[in-house]
Amino acid sequence: MKKMKRINKALKIAAMVLPLMAVNACTDLDENIYDQLVSNNFYNNRNEVVSAVLRPYTHANAWVTPGQDGWWRLNELSADELAWPVKGRHGQDGGRWFRLHYHTWTPDDDFVWGAWRLMWWGMGLCTSPIENLEARDAAEMGITEEEKASYVSELKLLRAFHYLKLMDLYGNIPVVTQVGEPVNPPTQSRAEVFNFIEKEILDNINSAPKLSQEMLGRMSQAGAYAMLAELYLNAETWTGTPRWDDCIAAADKLIAGEAGGQNGPATLDPNLTDTFKPSNYTSNEILFSIAYEFQRANFAPQWPGDFYHFQQQYIYGGARNGNDGVVVIPGVYSTFADNDMRKSEWILEGPQYRYDAPTQPVIASGGNEYDGQPLVFVDNIRKNKTLQPGQDPATLPSDMTQGEENSGVRFNKYKLGALEDPDYNGTDWAIYRLSWIYFAKAEALMRKSGGTATPEAVELINQVKQRAFAPEDWEAVKYTPATLTMDELLAERGREFIFEGWRRQDLIRFGEFVTTSWWDHQPTNDPTKQLYPIPRRQVTLNPNLKQNPGYN
Amino acid sequence: MRQSFTNLFDSGYVGGRRRIFCTGVVSFTMCVALTTTQSYAVGIHRPEKSIEALGKELSTKHFKYAAQVIGKVIDVQGQSLPGVTVVLKGTTVGATTDVDGNYTINVPDGQENGILVFSYIGFADKEVPIGNQSTINVQLQEDTKKLNEVVVVGYGTQKREEITSAVSNVSEEEFNQSGARNAMDLVQGKVAGLTVDRSSSNPNTGVALQIRGITSITGGQAPLVVIDGIPGGNLDLLQQDDIASISVLKDGSAAAIYGTRANGGVILVTTKRGKSGAPRFDYNTYFRKEYVRNRPDFMNADEYRAIIAQGLIDASYDYGSTTDAYDELINHDNLSQNHNLALSGGSATTTYRASIYYQDLQGIAKENSRKQYGGRFSLNQTGLQDRLTAQINLATNFNRANRLGGGGWEGSLVRNPTLPFYNPDGSFLFEPTSTNEVARLEQETNRRQQQTSSFDAKLNLEILRGLQASIFGAMQRNSYEDGAYRQLNSEFSLENDIFRGGGYARRGTYLRTDYTVEPTIQFDEIIANDHHINAVGGYSYQYTVEENFFAENYGFVNDIFEENNLGAGNQLQEGKANMGSGKGDNTLIAFFGRVNYSFQEKYLLSLILRHEGSSRFGENNKWGNFPAASVGWNIYKEPFMENIAFINSLKIRAGYGVTGNQDIANYSSLVTLGTGGVYINPDGEYRQTYGPNRNPNPDLRWEKKKELNVGIDFSILNDKLSGSIDVFRRKTEDLLYNYTSQLPPFVRETIYTNVGAISNKGVEITLSAIPVQTEDFTWNVDVTGSHATNEADNLSNDLYKTDVISEGAIGGFGALGDAFRIVEGGKIGNFYGKRFASFDENGDWLFYNRNGDAVPFDQINNSNDPEVTDLAVIGNAIPKYYASMTNDFRYKNLGLRVFLRGRFGYDILNTMDLSYGNQVALPNNILKSAFTRNAQLTDTYQYSDYYLESGNFVKLDEITLSYNFNFNTPFIRNLRIYATGSNLATFTKYNGNDPDYVLTTGIGNEINGRRLGIDVRDPYPNTRSFLIGLNVGF
Repeated sequence: MKKMKRINKALKIAAMVLPLMAVNACTDLDENIYDQLVSNNFYNNRNEVVSAVLRPYTHANAWVTPGQDGWWRLNELSADELAWPVKGRHGQDGGRWFRLHYHTWTPDDDFVWGAWRLMWWGMGLCTSPIENLEARDAAEMGITEEEKASYVSELKLLRAFHYLKLMDLYGNIPVVTQVGEPVNPPTQSRAEVFNFIEKEILDNINSAPKLSQEMLGRMSQAGAYAMLAELYLNAETWTGTPRWDDCIAAADKLIAGEAGGQNGPATLDPNLTDTFKPSNYTSNEILFSIAYEFQRANFAPQWPGDFYHFQQQYIYGGARNGNDGVVVIPGVYSTFADNDMRKSEWILEGPQYRYDAPTQPVIASGGNEYDGQPLVFVDNIRKNKTLQPGQDPATLPSDMTQGEENSGVRFNKYKLGALEDPDYNGTDWAIYRLSWIYFAKAEALMRKSGGTATPEAVELINQVKQRAFAPEDWEAVKYTPATLTMDELLAERGREFIFEGWRRQDLIRFGEFVTTSWWDHQPTNDPTKQLYPIPRRQVTLNPNLKQNPGYN
Repeated sequence: MRQSFTNLFDSGYVGGRRRIFCTGVVSFTMCVALTTTQSYAVGIHRPEKSIEALGKELSTKHFKYAAQVIGKVIDVQGQSLPGVTVVLKGTTVGATTDVDGNYTINVPDGQENGILVFSYIGFADKEVPIGNQSTINVQLQEDTKKLNEVVVVGYGTQKREEITSAVSNVSEEEFNQSGARNAMDLVQGKVAGLTVDRSSSNPNTGVALQIRGITSITGGQAPLVVIDGIPGGNLDLLQQDDIASISVLKDGSAAAIYGTRANGGVILVTTKRGKSGAPRFDYNTYFRKEYVRNRPDFMNADEYRAIIAQGLIDASYDYGSTTDAYDELINHDNLSQNHNLALSGGSATTTYRASIYYQDLQGIAKENSRKQYGGRFSLNQTGLQDRLTAQINLATNFNRANRLGGGGWEGSLVRNPTLPFYNPDGSFLFEPTSTNEVARLEQETNRRQQQTSSFDAKLNLEILRGLQASIFGAMQRNSYEDGAYRQLNSEFSLENDIFRGGGYARRGTYLRTDYTVEPTIQFDEIIANDHHINAVGGYSYQYTVEENFFAENYGFVNDIFEENNLGAGNQLQEGKANMGSGKGDNTLIAFFGRVNYSFQEKYLLSLILRHEGSSRFGENNKWGNFPAASVGWNIYKEPFMENIAFINSLKIRAGYGVTGNQDIANYSSLVTLGTGGVYINPDGEYRQTYGPNRNPNPDLRWEKKKELNVGIDFSILNDKLSGSIDVFRRKTEDLLYNYTSQLPPFVRETIYTNVGAISNKGVEITLSAIPVQTEDFTWNVDVTGSHATNEADNLSNDLYKTDVISEGAIGGFGALGDAFRIVEGGKIGNFYGKRFASFDENGDWLFYNRNGDAVPFDQINNSNDPEVTDLAVIGNAIPKYYASMTNDFRYKNLGLRVFLRGRFGYDILNTMDLSYGNQVALPNNILKSAFTRNAQLTDTYQYSDYYLESGNFVKLDEITLSYNFNFNTPFIRNLRIYATGSNLATFTKYNGNDPDYVLTTGIGNEINGRRLGIDVRDPYPNTRSFLIGLNVGF
């Protein structure tokens, strides 16, 4: 009994103390955020708005330029100009480069997912500021209504650009215009996606700014007309309905300089190198680019990783080296005439000399095949090191597995400049340039006329090509309506736009992607390979997503 | 007599429960009165570790007494023992010894022939018949019987006999003796089910801990460490000489008291306290020397030249020198030392212990060391007539770490052994694809100055008999300052692309502060002699805030400033040097309670509930409940067991508990806007861009583990053989993983969400045997063994699905991808890849496809689709069995300990062989196995079962020889010298690095630079060490 009393008393005291504790007890579990931003404390002034509007551009750098699994790699390494062969101990990489070259990719391939992931992520980086800007009053954000409309149009055009490039790779994809809604968006046919893109561009093109120095590196009317040109040029492939006149109309806007330009109305650059030099923000023909700036802003291109040799720095006097990855497929180099300056300007071949001592060879190092020996890029992919005395080099096997450190001639189109260059390492990457518009219009004209060249088409191509030849050579090489056949147009496209990411699209449009062979590639004759599969992990997750035909 | 009693009273030494509340004059009156009355005590064991609580009881009741017995209680070393309870058996008459170990007891009428029972925590009870003696002096022996051990169980202690869950306790005497770099080194191999993965003997790296298997994929696996009640205690604050014991709460039924931090189990560390009595000095020291035990078998310069002579490499690769780059990194002169001086003592009401230490831990690598010093102080005081106890602890650690060395092994191993380090002109030889490590160690610095401190205090007030209220508060602070410098002529400075030819400096700071406040109420009472109730309830608030900052700069014009004048460089201004800072916090709040009930110490029950919330969880799921229940039955106390003589004790127990895991990143549930790199603004300036960088998950919640544990504790054959066996089955649900989200419509491809479930089941056995025990010679054997399996139950729910989770990046050349694949229903740790068939005539790989045909690599289907893929499960990286055995031999004063440890039934991916046992890597230096075991191979790198090897090993981890001197002098209390050899031999067929250093915890994520089951290419040297040590007390 006594004990029970004690317990009662204990309970009473406990009952008195516990509420005291509860009063003192803080049950507040709110998160204090110190070094991160959440969207409800953003978009309060112009700088914040601009910083959100510009976010998708730094991201597009990741997928539109070489260096990661994005649009570029999927379009170039599956085509007939570039490959990433095994070179000695490097480049086996789980067979990924083989599968791109052989067209044996699967819905599980990480590059299939990688491009999807980066591009849709970029899409979200467009949609999120579109939603936030549209939901807010312009004055609250410290901008004018016109600026708000202009930013929204720019972002919608940039989003259309994402759709365009996704459609190029994957064809049938969902169309989503809100972040997070719907959770499982359904696949739409390529034609439906095409229509959405076209409408989105047309709805926004006039309220978007023209290209100007201020709009450097951004989507503008120039980029929008270029998108239209691309869309209509491929309309027959993508929707079954040709749109040649629309393509020509869009191209004409640009050719006439009506959409602006980086430095006055857009014109062709007079020199072959102007478009690709470190100071190419001064280029007149770039219509839409990723604008890098290293010296002041430490924002540098990512492509050296894919293109550069381990000792590339000695060749060009900069500081960046690469993974000795992408090379030009044997046979492509010789399609350039020897007096074609694009051959010597854009491609590295033969013995390499030191930038700082032009008479001294670059010596390979780092424990690969030519360690300690002069670096010589050769236009073949085979194990020359294993050549026995008296053996004909042509008897060596040449395929994706047989490369060496120096196999293949190399990318030298965009130049990063030497360390002392004030624009060193800041070369912009042109996504659209006027030369491509010239080619698009020429092709539309030729296709309209049943595949034969019109004088206007010849003139357009010649204007671009002429820059690559010395005046004394020009007469011999210029095109005439007779020489500019469709095959020749494709070949000339290959030369003019090598390394620029267009080749797969071109081969598909010319009907050659799955039917022709090149180097180590045998045709699959399987038209379903003209689309990449939808990544399996998304098909597994989203029941409304349909896999492309030919893939399981 | 009077003096002694007054002393007892004044000093508040009279503990116990039926006390009168005497203050002021009243107390004085009482004191006088008490000299003429009797005191008596009740002999109830209460699970309290403090001696103060075990006192005699005072009463105002009057007894007649017939005789008075006095005496002194001492320990085996002759030291007087204060606070010993002396009780007349079968009565409530009792007394307590004073500071000098003296006691006086008044024996009531008719009890003259009774028996006095002397009891003291940590010592065996002793019974002495009074007979006609009026003076009874007693020597108590330390208790070796585990059942009476008092074990810390979190928010309290329990007698081992009353514990109903899987709890292991390792006391000081059992600790590993090889000179701990980390407090957890002390218990490696001592607790069945606790995996302590050392990565190396690098003094600047920690250990990976895991209890019973994998409970998380992306969250922390490690157990919660609680140091003297501070949850999340920092291991840097623990010195081996300051630790009294380490308890491990392995199963959920005990760990649930720590709620959402207990999925990985709980490790409770108790530091040493002062004891009242004569002041003590204890000095402990050791010196340790390490030697490289086995180095990877690469070619030396002569062997390399022989390969050149064979024509396998061009003669141009002979650069004429003979170098051993690996050996250049070795600190052959290493000598580590440890000194710890502790002062302790106190009166009956106040005890203290203060220790200071100095440690110089030198790695086997050059420029790789840790010098630390600091101290630990604890003060306990009782007041308010013994109703109030206060305890204060302070600990601090100052550490200066040299972090420059300790790496670069891989580069040095593969370096051409004919390549000199210097140019002919004496300058260092640099080339862009490798690092000249000799130059790096000379031309760079990388230092850390760290201070870690903790302060905690606890006030405990006995409100009523059996009812106590406490408040505990603690603060921990960990900060460091990093500094690094690379000279003008260093390789980095000459080759970087930001600014060449200038020096480079970096500074970084880090500060973490943890605050804990925990008020609790405890109730402890024995009712009607049979019902022992111990209950605790409380509230816990813990707040952690972390901040960091760093800046670097390039282009220093000379090497004078080093990192001490960052502004003198020229690239921070240009925006090309980096600078950054961050801050984040999180809060944990809980209400918790536990009730332990024991009936006649036979039937035991324990109930726990913790209601806890974490700021890290999504707004829809901030709070969770973590209940547990366990029961035990001390069968041997049943009457029917009395005749079974060979059983000394026997208990079966079973428990079930739910715990959680909140060890995830802060702000994981929120959409945050992240920086996206700079881009050109309309004004031509480049500014930072911002965009969403995470998908939100307002439903984010804890991972939840449900665990059933059944165990048996026994002691048989006169306590010659004792042990525990535990069987467990646990399932962790709501596993957090970065699931692929629907993309579109979300911005990011992953969402951190609770989906999957993992289950583990296993057995743990702990055995202690005393095969031989004579007066002079004792042989003790302790064996631990565990077996566990880990399985992924499911990985998908309605919203989020994944076929597979890939983990364990293999790294190295050739982009080999991940080694492991987790699929629903599959085991965790399964290696998944190609099956090696043979090499073709060209030395190229052939692998088996699904039909069993040997085909070249490009015909292997690597799809995830099980219907078409050629890939298969090819091994498992998680040992099926862990075992260890400690043999302690004692002959008179001489002791010998032999400690063996092993892991069995698992595979290791030999990445060293994969990358360097292959001639394709020529003309780099490579393993000799490229010309022997792998001589047929000339193809590029491939991951397949060819490189999977059994990791089974037995390691002779420690031999310690010690001698205890018995001086018959008042100047030295004890003196022990010992010599320890560690990592003496490893018995294994594995061909790579020491399998002991291959991680067996985690799921393939990186922990301390390592991944489950994947050997490393950059192995910190495996060392054998020899240590001599001294413990002296006076």
